[in-house]
Amino acid sequence: MASIVLSNVDKVYAGGVKAVNGLNLEIKDGEFMVLVGPSGCGKSTALRMIAGLEDISGGEISIGDRVVNHLPPKDRDIAMVFQNYALYPHMTVEENLAFGLKLRKMPKAEIQKRVNEAAKMLGLEQYLKRKPAALSGGQRQRVAMGRAIVREPQAFLMDEPLSNLDAKLRVSMRASLNQLHERLGVTTVYVTHDQVEAMTLGDRVCVLRDGFLQQVDTPQNLFDRPVNLFVAGFMGSPAMNFAYADLVRDGSGAAVSFAGFKLPVPDSTFTDKPGLDRYVGKRVILGIRPSDFEDSVAANGSSGGWARIPVTANVTEELGSEINVLFTIDAPPVEHKDTVAAAHDGDEEEVALPLTGDKSLWTARVNARSHVRPGQSLELVIDTHNLHFFDVESGLAIGHEANVGR
Amino acid sequence: MTATTRRDAAPGRPAVRRGAAPARSRMDMFGPLSHIALVIWTILVVAPIIYTFLGSFKTNTELFGGHSLALPEHFHWDAWGRAWDRSHIGRYMFNTVLIVGISTFFTMLLGSMAAYVLSRYEFIGRRWIYLLFVSGLSIPPFLALSSLYKVVQNLGLLGTHTGVVLVYVAYSLPFTVFFLAAFFRTLPDTVAEAAMIDGSSHTRTFFQIMMPMAKPGLVSITIFNVIGQWNQYLLPIVLLPGDQQDKWLITQGIANISTSAGYEADWSALFAALSMAIIPVLIVYIIFQRQIQTGLTAGAVK
Repeated sequence: MASIVLSNVDKVYAGGVKAVNGLNLEIKDGEFMVLVGPSGCGKSTALRMIAGLEDISGGEISIGDRVVNHLPPKDRDIAMVFQNYALYPHMTVEENLAFGLKLRKMPKAEIQKRVNEAAKMLGLEQYLKRKPAALSGGQRQRVAMGRAIVREPQAFLMDEPLSNLDAKLRVSMRASLNQLHERLGVTTVYVTHDQVEAMTLGDRVCVLRDGFLQQVDTPQNLFDRPVNLFVAGFMGSPAMNFAYADLVRDGSGAAVSFAGFKLPVPDSTFTDKPGLDRYVGKRVILGIRPSDFEDSVAANGSSGGWARIPVTANVTEELGSEINVLFTIDAPPVEHKDTVAAAHDGDEEEVALPLTGDKSLWTARVNARSHVRPGQSLELVIDTHNLHFFDVESGLAIGHEANVGR
Repeated sequence: MTATTRRDAAPGRPAVRRGAAPARSRMDMFGPLSHIALVIWTILVVAPIIYTFLGSFKTNTELFGGHSLALPEHFHWDAWGRAWDRSHIGRYMFNTVLIVGISTFFTMLLGSMAAYVLSRYEFIGRRWIYLLFVSGLSIPPFLALSSLYKVVQNLGLLGTHTGVVLVYVAYSLPFTVFFLAAFFRTLPDTVAEAAMIDGSSHTRTFFQIMMPMAKPGLVSITIFNVIGQWNQYLLPIVLLPGDQQDKWLITQGIANISTSAGYEADWSALFAALSMAIIPVLIVYIIFQRQIQTGLTAGAVK
């Protein structure tokens, strides 16, 4: 096992397209690092550079203590799982698993032992004599995993390994991947475009956009403290709600006003986000997570620090345990380059409502006990401790430690 | 019409039958038609072969005596023996098997390696090398014949089997590379990448991973090359002159039976020799044809 360090890594394709731009990333020994971003953000390219399948245009990649820039893939001691599995079709499952070990001139008994162990771990024992064509998608995926496991490499590289599976299988494979990592503790770099996968699997998650690193942090921190509008809009489903708002301070304390609503901003927010007070009296972009809403009826009582706003539900999506309430507010939609980029490649397609120019569609996630129907009015409460503020120009989160001084 | 009415009368049929019925009747119409076409085609191909085979048992009188399509009176293998011994067909057959075997082997080895590299590796001049290969397709052997003679003579390989093998390989490579390059392009990249990461060298990846996946393409082009080289007549005539009779190939030998005898041509021996030339090709075709299976990459990806 080893750490993987990328320093100032560039990838320029023929024609001058820069797929990866000055990427700095340290993946610790035994860490599960997820690279996530919309398609074309350079995440797969970054992974393929670590694997040695793509040349590195600039910078340095080291695995363990070795700089591997000019090492061929076979000398990097890594194993990779591909999106389309890439099994050897003319070999049985057993031969598929053993191929990499045979090439390393491992004694037969050791090969047999490792293959059997991996097969047992992945539940492939009864399929060892079969060829890939006679396996289901999930089984092929497990063979691909097994081929990586038997090698006992320094690191696993996984390129969207679950995206060809159906939804249910993907969830169960996600859980087994988690277990597998707990058990083996091998450094893993995992590429996905699915932010749910990123949140659930990663020890840390690295968000990329157009070849630039946006933020590397634990899933919870990415969710709670996104560094900019892009990360805020990309992580979390349904996506964060945005609106232009004015930050004001009067006799009763600080508040943000937007679309005819006025939400008090608690004092603790100002201590949490240094530099926010400089925006008093100015325009900011306000962000509120759908999960920070609650139906005031269902939430009755717990209103300390919660502000109330009356809205009319346009669409409700009942998910069983909760309801997504889609409603319009009287504010023009935020059209910052970051929010547009995040929304375009977001996993979830928002319900397309015909909106007039000065309305924007927000989503609130409320408890299923709310029983709200489309067209009904309801009063939502907002947890004002979790308001997010972004600079109108740069799109950076105000008061985020990474942005101080930027 | 009656069928449609009856089907309409059947209760509980789903509404989709309307779409299905015309499709089936089209199938019904093309079924017999295509079978008739196939039967005609089969007769066109098989009849001459049978005629040749039966001809080897007939006497000259039987062949030209008005009932030339009748069955032979006796099934004697005399003509086969004459062709094999006196006309040295056995010797020529051995030469041909040797030459076609060696040249097909090298054609396939070099052709598949070149095609693989040209289709899957990026390097400067790749396009030009590919075009150079493909442009070889546009040169008819007839046009290059005299210069080819000179080149082989200058190499000191005139009248040698080595010279013939080299020329056969050179003439077979363009189409082989053209065909296989297209085939290799259809194979999934990731399988080769997976092999690389598993520790396989470029050479091993090619021979142990990619070649097995390309088997259908390799088999088709092998059959094509074997048959093409087996039936080659013009090139051996030029490259293996008359004073080197013991090195001749089977096509030269067969032609010699009819030309050397003048007015007393031994037609049944000629037919026997032809049959001997046909049978190995048939065997090769039958063996390899079984190997052409689609879907050899099944299960590799997704």
